[in-house]
Amino acid sequence: MVESLSARNIVKHYGGVVALTDGNLEVHAREVVALIGANGSGKSTMSKVINGVVVLDGGQLLLDGKPIDFPSPQTAKNAGIATVFQELSLIPQLTVAENIWLTREPLNQFGMVDQKTVHARTEELLALFAGTFKTDLHPDAPVASLPPDEKQIIEILKAVSFDPWLIILDEATASLDSRQVGRLFELVQKWKEQGKAIIFVSHRMEEIFRIADKYSVLRNGRTVGAGNIKDINEKQLIKLMIEKESVLGFLRGEAKSGERIEQEISLEAQSLTTDYLRGVSFKLRKGELVGIGGLRGQGQRQLLHSLFGDLPYSGTVKLFNKEVHFKHPREAMRNGFALVPGERAKEGLLYIRSILDNLLLPSWKRYGLPLKVNQAKMDATQTGSSLNLKMAGLEEPVSSLSGGNAQKVVIGKWLMREPKVLLLDDPTKGVDVGTKAEFYTLLTQLSEEGKTILFYSSDDEELIGLCDRVLVMYDGMIRTELSGNTLTKENLISSSLGVTNGGAE
Amino acid sequence: MKQSGWDALVARRPALFALILLVLSLIINFILQPNMFARETLNSNMRVFLPIILLAAGQAIVILGGGIDISVGGTVSIVNTVLATRVGLEGSPEQMWQFVFLSLLAGLIAGAINGFFIAYLRLQPIITTYATSFIYAGLALVILPNPGGGIPAQIVSLYRNSTPFSLPLAVYIIAIVLLVWLYVSSTRYGKFLFAVGGKADAAYETAVPVTWVQFSTYVISGLMAALSGIAITMLSGSGNADIGGPMTLNSITAVVIGGNALSGGVGGVAGPIMGAITLGILQNIISFADIDTWWETLIKATIIVLALAAPGIVNLFRRRKRS
Repeated sequence: MVESLSARNIVKHYGGVVALTDGNLEVHAREVVALIGANGSGKSTMSKVINGVVVLDGGQLLLDGKPIDFPSPQTAKNAGIATVFQELSLIPQLTVAENIWLTREPLNQFGMVDQKTVHARTEELLALFAGTFKTDLHPDAPVASLPPDEKQIIEILKAVSFDPWLIILDEATASLDSRQVGRLFELVQKWKEQGKAIIFVSHRMEEIFRIADKYSVLRNGRTVGAGNIKDINEKQLIKLMIEKESVLGFLRGEAKSGERIEQEISLEAQSLTTDYLRGVSFKLRKGELVGIGGLRGQGQRQLLHSLFGDLPYSGTVKLFNKEVHFKHPREAMRNGFALVPGERAKEGLLYIRSILDNLLLPSWKRYGLPLKVNQAKMDATQTGSSLNLKMAGLEEPVSSLSGGNAQKVVIGKWLMREPKVLLLDDPTKGVDVGTKAEFYTLLTQLSEEGKTILFYSSDDEELIGLCDRVLVMYDGMIRTELSGNTLTKENLISSSLGVTNGGAE
Repeated sequence: MKQSGWDALVARRPALFALILLVLSLIINFILQPNMFARETLNSNMRVFLPIILLAAGQAIVILGGGIDISVGGTVSIVNTVLATRVGLEGSPEQMWQFVFLSLLAGLIAGAINGFFIAYLRLQPIITTYATSFIYAGLALVILPNPGGGIPAQIVSLYRNSTPFSLPLAVYIIAIVLLVWLYVSSTRYGKFLFAVGGKADAAYETAVPVTWVQFSTYVISGLMAALSGIAITMLSGSGNADIGGPMTLNSITAVVIGGNALSGGVGGVAGPIMGAITLGILQNIISFADIDTWWETLIKATIIVLALAAPGIVNLFRRRKRS
C-alpha cells in the first residue's frame, strides 16, 4: 500500500491565466487533509493536477518519495487516486450502475459486461448510503432522473468503487443534506482506518473542523499555510485565506423585528400546491428577511419557482392584499418579483456574454425603446460598484469572474429593476467566505430598504445568523416556523430531519 | 423528481416510436398491396432496403458517439464505381470478391480519414464530413465520369434471388448486424460509446479513451458505408457516381426516426434499422397509392419533423393536463 503523496511547487497556467504559482500539498495514509482557499485560489486545479485531468506546467509529484507523472486521468487512477468531482463526471444518459463501473466493468469470458456482478456490486455500494435516499434508488435508474444530492452520492460511490488509496472529495458535500454528510463522514472514518488518505476540498468550516486532521491553505495559487487542524482555529484559517481578517459577523438589524411587525403584509400564500408542494401557507411582511430551511430537495426550489410563475400551482398568492396568479415569470417580474436561481451557470447567467449584457438583460424595456445606451451603462456601473463587483470592466465576459462575483452579477441584474420581492435560491452555494460576508451585508441592507426577501439556503448558519424567521420545509410542506429564541441550530436541524415524528418519512 | 410511466418508457425504449411508425406503415402498405408478405415481394422489397439499412446502422454508431457522418454517400459512390469499373460485366466471381475486399478497405480508410480529423485534430464533425463528402464524391466521379460499367450477372442474381429457408438474404444480413450490435453494446466498448456520446468531458475524466472511441465510430461508419455500396452495386448491377449522394440524408433520417438523439448517447441500432425499413415502405406506399412522386420529399420531410417533434408534443399535452 502507498504511504504518501506530495505535490511540490506546482505551477499551472490556463492560457494566460495563472491558476497555480506555487502549490504544495502533502498527504499520508490514514489522514484527512483539508484543502482550503477562497474561490479562484486554485483548489480545483490542485486536485486536477493530482488526478491527472490537467498536466502540470512546473513542479513535481512524488508518490512515496519517488517522482511520478500523471499525463492522463487513467495513469492517476492506476496509481490508486480517485476523485469525486464538483462538476460531476457522471454521464446522464447512462444508468447508475453503468456510471459507477464505467471503464472497469466486470466482464465474462466473452468480453461482455457481467450484468449480474455489476448489479450485485452496485447494490453493495448503494447500501453504504442506504436510508438517505429520497427516491427509490436502484442500479438501473438513469442518472439524469436523479436529484442533485443523489447524483453527488453516485459520484462518491463511483470514486470509491475501485478501492483507491487516495480519495479527493472536491466540494463533495455542497449538494448533500446533513444526513448524507453525516453518513459520508462515517465512511471517511472507516476509509481512514483501512489505510486510505482523503483530500477534502470544502468551503464549510464546520465540516473541515469536524473531519480533517490536517489543513493546507491556498491563496492566489500559492500554498500559504499547512499544519495540524488541532493547532488552528476558524478565525486564523479564514485569515490565511483572505489575508485580511474576515468580517464574517452577521449584521442582522438588531431589535428590528418589533418594528417589522408594524409593517404591512407584502406577500401571502395560502395552501400552495404543486406536484411536489402539499399546501404551503405563509405571510411575509415588508422589509422582512425570511429564510427557508430544511434538507435539500424538500420543495424549497419548487416553492420559489411557483411564486415566480415558473411552475404551475394551485392555491392563493396575495401581493399587498391583492390576489395574483402568475402563469409566466414575465408577469411576476412586472409585479416586482425577482428570482435569483440556484444554478447560476445554467439559469442565472449568459456566461460568454459581457457583464454589461447580463446586468441589462431583464431591464431592456427601460433602456430599449428609445435606445438609451449611456444611461444603461451608467446604471450598470452604479449597480456594479454598489455590489463591490471585482471585474476588469463591464465589457468583460461573465466567465472571467470568480463564482462569488458571478453571483453578484445575478443579483445585480435584478436589483437594476428595483424589485419589491426577492426570491433567492441558495445564492451562496460555492461562494467564498469573503464574498459571503459582503452578500450578508447586502441582504440586510436590502431588507432595511423595505424589500421582502425569501431566502432558501442549504447553509444552516446563514439562516440562523441572517433571517428574522425561518420556515423549515419537509416533504413539500412547511413543518415548523422558527424565530427569535426558537431559531437555534438544534431546532433547525431537528425540524429539518423531521425528528418530531421519529424521523420517519 | 419522480418519473412518470411515460418518461420511463421513452427513456428505456427510445425506438418505441420507430416501431409504432413501422407497424403503421406496414399496415397501410399491406392494405394497398395485399401480397406484400409473399416470398417474392418480400425479397424484392428487402433487397432494395438493405443498402440504406446498412448505411443507417453505421450512421447510428457515429451519432450514438456524439458525431455525425455526412460523407457516407460519397463512400458508397466510391465503392460502387470501383466495383463497376474494375470488376466489369465480364469479370469473374473471384475478381469480384477481391474487389469486395478492396472496397471494405476503401471504406475503412475513408472512415479513418474522417476519424483522424474529428477525433485527433478535434474538428467539427458536421463540417469535416461535409468537406470530405465532396472529396469522396469527387473521387467517384473521377473513377467513373458517366454511369456505366457493371458486375457479373451471376453475382447480381446471387444477391437478388437468394432466399435461404424461404427468407430474403437481406433478413439474414440484418439479423447478423443486430446480433453483432447486441454483442457490441454489451461489451465495454458499447458502454464507452454511450458514455462518449452522452458527455465526452465526463467520460474523459473517468478515463474512457474518448479520442479512440470517436475515431472508431467513423471507421465503423466507413465500413458500413462500404458494405452498403457493395449491396447497392449488387442490386443495380451497374455503376453510377451519383448513386450515394441522396443516401446520406436518408441514413440520417432513418437514425432520427429510429429514436436516437442527434446529440448522442441515446438510442441503438435496431431503431435506425426500423427507421430505414419505414422509409423504404413509405416509398412503396407513395407508388402504390398513386401519389405523384413529387410528393415523396414532402411526405418524407413531414415524417421526419413529426418524429423529431413527437416527444415534445406528447410532453406538451401532459403539461396541459396537469396545470
